[in-house]
Amino acid sequence: MASSASKRLFKEYKSLSSDPPEGITAGPVSEDDMFLWEALIQGPEGTPFEGGVFPAELKFPKDYPLAPPKMKFLVDVWHPNVYANGEVCISILHPPGDDPHHYEQASERWSPIQSVEKILISVMSMLAEPNDESPANVDAARMWREKRGQYEDIVRKNVRTSLGL
Amino acid sequence: MAEQTLNIPQILVFIVVTVLAVRWFFSKSSTDSNSSNSSTRPTRTSPRINAAQIEQIAQMFPQLERRSIAWELFRNGGNVQAVTEKVLSGRGLETPPPTFTVPTPAPRSAPTPSSHTSTPKPATKPDLIARYNLSSKISSQNQQNEDGEQKPTKQKVWSQDRNERQTILQRRREEMILAARRKMEEKDREAKA
Repeated sequence: MASSASKRLFKEYKSLSSDPPEGITAGPVSEDDMFLWEALIQGPEGTPFEGGVFPAELKFPKDYPLAPPKMKFLVDVWHPNVYANGEVCISILHPPGDDPHHYEQASERWSPIQSVEKILISVMSMLAEPNDESPANVDAARMWREKRGQYEDIVRKNVRTSLGL
Repeated sequence: MAEQTLNIPQILVFIVVTVLAVRWFFSKSSTDSNSSNSSTRPTRTSPRINAAQIEQIAQMFPQLERRSIAWELFRNGGNVQAVTEKVLSGRGLETPPPTFTVPTPAPRSAPTPSSHTSTPKPATKPDLIARYNLSSKISSQNQQNEDGEQKPTKQKVWSQDRNERQTILQRRREEMILAARRKMEEKDREAKA
């Protein structure tokens, strides 16, 4: 099981390196452990995240791709769908089967035909378009809805801080 | 006579089967008690839940009691995801029975309320420059910038050698961060001018 998982992860690493999607760099922290990756995602243009680079850690389960990885940002990301500890909460990272929320469609959820690339692209579009139906960060969600300007200021400030400026 | 010749092998078979059955029964019950001892004892004194998991959930939901979190984890076998989903779906956590004790005392006394106020705390995580050790490369990048935008040469993207792969990946990461920083600095300069 574990060896088929790491084979699959290696294949995904290779295709992500050979043909990287725009604004995404991802790969294992060390090839000794294919189950821990680090990804860099560029902030989408035309959003307050523009110009930023956001590092995130991806932890894969031993039964990948049956179960999805967990993703956690390593810098502060002020966003309705990102927990205070950096963990990302979007439907593609949720296993199929149990759906306590009853609003996510099965097609949006994790399945073995999804991939790391699709996760990262989904996260990138999540940055641009938060889903405030299921906020992981309630305060950010409220601010995004009610005080958009303040929300964008915080995001821009975090972008600059993370770049060391 | 005919009855007797039939009975002796039957009795012998019966005895052998009985002996085997009794031996099997005793050996089974002894291994059973061994295995149950070894598997239940540790779970009774230290359930599979650990303090880190409780802490993780408590940080996400400061309003929850640690005891309730521990009880929920205890009941579902330490599945953090299931607990968070349960909380998020609006179903509250059950109150643990009075006999239930949290296995290990939580390292921190109380969740910090500041983590849930509407003003976010200042960045506590190291920035990208520190994280990827890029401070030395910032100055050299600026130098190159003055000579004109350096054209990125067509680089190898995949290598059969694992160390080389690692280096390529690292360089791609660094370039991405440095490019973002350069762009931001340029924007600042334009804004000032």
